[in-house]
Amino acid sequence: MTDTALAHGPVAERRRGEGLTATALLAPATIFVALCLLAPLVILFRYSLNEFIPTKKMMVEAVTVANYVKFFTDPYYTAILLTTVRVSVTVTLACLILGFPLAYVVARTQSRFKNLLIILTVLPLFVGNAVRAAGWMTIFGNKGFLNTTLQWLGLIDKPLEIMFTEKAVIIGIIAVNLPFMVLTLQSVIEGIDRAVEEAAFSLGAPPITMFRRVLWPLALPGILAGTILTFILAMNAYATPFLLGGPLFKMMAPLVYNQFTQQSNWPFGGAIAFILMAVTLVLTLAANLLFQRRARSDLGR
Amino acid sequence: MARLDIHSLAKRYGDFYAVRDVSLSVADGEFLVLLGPSGCGKTTTLRMVAGFIEPTAGHVKLGGTDVTLLPPWKRNAGMVFQSYALFPHLTVAQNVAFGLEMRKLPRADIDKRVDEALALVRLGGHGGRLPRQLSGGQQQRVALARALAIRPDVLLLDEPLSNLDAKLRQEVRVEIRELQRQLGLTTVMVTHDQEEALTMADRLVVMNEGSVRQVGTQRDLYERPTDRFVAGFVGRSTFLEGAIEAPGRFRTDGGLALACTGSGSGRGVLALRPERLQVAAAPIDGLDNRLSGTVEFVSYLGALIDIHVRLSPADRLVVQIANREGGFTPEVGQSVHVAWPASAGLVFTE
Repeated sequence: MTDTALAHGPVAERRRGEGLTATALLAPATIFVALCLLAPLVILFRYSLNEFIPTKKMMVEAVTVANYVKFFTDPYYTAILLTTVRVSVTVTLACLILGFPLAYVVARTQSRFKNLLIILTVLPLFVGNAVRAAGWMTIFGNKGFLNTTLQWLGLIDKPLEIMFTEKAVIIGIIAVNLPFMVLTLQSVIEGIDRAVEEAAFSLGAPPITMFRRVLWPLALPGILAGTILTFILAMNAYATPFLLGGPLFKMMAPLVYNQFTQQSNWPFGGAIAFILMAVTLVLTLAANLLFQRRARSDLGR
Repeated sequence: MARLDIHSLAKRYGDFYAVRDVSLSVADGEFLVLLGPSGCGKTTTLRMVAGFIEPTAGHVKLGGTDVTLLPPWKRNAGMVFQSYALFPHLTVAQNVAFGLEMRKLPRADIDKRVDEALALVRLGGHGGRLPRQLSGGQQQRVALARALAIRPDVLLLDEPLSNLDAKLRQEVRVEIRELQRQLGLTTVMVTHDQEEALTMADRLVVMNEGSVRQVGTQRDLYERPTDRFVAGFVGRSTFLEGAIEAPGRFRTDGGLALACTGSGSGRGVLALRPERLQVAAAPIDGLDNRLSGTVEFVSYLGALIDIHVRLSPADRLVVQIANREGGFTPEVGQSVHVAWPASAGLVFTE
C-alpha cells in the first residue's frame, strides 16, 4: 500500500503540475474569446429580441420575435438573403473550379520558384478589401480600363454594364477569396503521394478518370475546408458588395451595417446578423453532410 | 507477357543527361535488374518504359509495338512503386480491381481475377481491409497483386523492397522471384542493392552516370567486369594504382612488381577480389604473386574476417578469409604473407 502510494505520489504531483500549466496556457485565449466574441454575441442576441420604436428612445426592452418575423415576411429582405446565398454559392464554385488547377500546380511543382508561387498566391491578401474593390472600380466602370480597351479594340460598341451589378460583386469576391481556396487545397494536395496518381495512370486510368477516382476523393477534406472557408467569407462580404455593387445592389453584411448606423435600428440589425449567421451555419453543415455521404457511397462502390 | 526492347533511349534536362544512349532487350519471361548507385539513371529509364517520362531520344518497344509516344494508361505495364502507392481510400480488393475496371471487364470477371490475384500473393480474405490496416509487407503484396491483376505485358518494379525490414526483404525477394518464374513475367526491376540484384536477376544491367556500363549474368559481372566501376560496384575489389610495365606485369606506385592478366598499356589499376587472396603467417608457395606485409586493421564479420594488409607505403589491400575452426587469426601489427595467382588480378587501363 505504502509502496504504491509512494510510487504514485510524485507522478500524481507532476500530473497536477502539467494540468496547471495547461490551464495557464489556455486561459488568455479562452478569456479573450469569451469576452470579445461570445459576450457581444449574447448581448446582440438579446438586442434582437427588443422592440424598436423610433419616436420613443429607439430601443425598448422586450422579448419578441417581431424583428425575425419582419425579415422573413418582407420580400425586400428575403430577396437580399437570396442574393447573398446565390452570390456566395457562385463565388464558392468559381473559386473551387479556378483554384483547384492552380493549387495542384503549386503543390506539384518541382521548381525552385515554388515559394515565390506561394507568395504570389498570398500577395493579394496584402491589399485590403476596400483598396482592392476601389481598384476594380477603375477597371469595371463605363469609362474604365476594361471597356476602353474593348472599345479601342473594336470588340464592342457600347460599354459593358459590369460596374454596380451582381457580376462585378461576384468577380470582386472571387478575387478576394481565391487565395484562401488555393492555400487550403494546396496543402492537402501536397499530402497526396504523387505515385498514387501515377499508379492510377499505369493501371489504365486516363487523367480525367484518375482525377475522379483518386485525386478528388483524396483531396475531399481540403475541398470541404476550402469551400466552407470561401462560402463563409462570401456570405459575410462587406466592402466588395458595398463598393462594387453600388446603391441598388444589396447583400446581408452591408444591410446589417446599414441598420446599425443609418437606421439606428439595433434590434433589427441584431436579428439580421443572427439570421445571416444561422443561414451560413445551416448551409455549411448541409453541404458537409452531403459531401460526406457522397464520399461514403463512393467508397462503398 | 511480351518482350521489351529499348533503343538508344536518352533523357536530357537542360545540359544534363539523366540517361544517355541506353539500349536493352528483355526476353519474354526474363527478369532483368537495373543496378546502380543513386542518380545513375536507372529509375529514369524505368519511368520512361512506364511512360511517366517522355524520352528526349530513342524508342521503347513492347511486344514489338512502339509505345514511345503512348501515355502510361495505354501501355499495359504493371508497376510496383517504392512507396507502394496504394489508393488509401479504397479497400484492398478495390485497389486490385481498379485496373480491371479501367479495362471495362464485367463485374463477375473482375471479382474472379481480384480473388485470383490476392490468392497469388497469399492475401485471400484480406480484400475488405483498407491499406492502412495492413503491415508494410502486406501492402507491398497488395501493390504486386494490383500490378499483376491487369495481366501486364511487362512488370516494372521500382525499388520494391527498400521499405521492408532486412529480414522480410530476404523472404520477399525469393517470393517475387518464384512468382515471376511461375507466371513467366517479363520483369524489369530497379535497385541500388547489389545483393538484391544478384539474388533475383536472370541478367543484370549495371548503370552509372546515365549510361549502361555492363550487361550480363551475375557470373559475367563478377568474374569479368569490363571496367573499374563494375569491378567496384558488383562484389568488392581492392584497387592498386600503377602502370603496366610489360605484358602480364603490373608495377604499383609503391614499387611492387605484380603478375597479372589483361592486355593494354600505360597507367591503370589492378583490381583484386579480397576473397581470392590468400594470407598466412608463414610464406605461401606455388602462387604467382608472393608478398609480405603488416596487418593494419582487422574487421571481424562473423562468418568472414576482413584483413587490411600494408604491402608498401603506397599499397594496401584487403584480404577476406573464412572464419574456420583453428584457422588463421590475424592481429594488428603482425607480419603476414599474402599470395594470389596472376589470374586473380584484373587490370583496367585509363
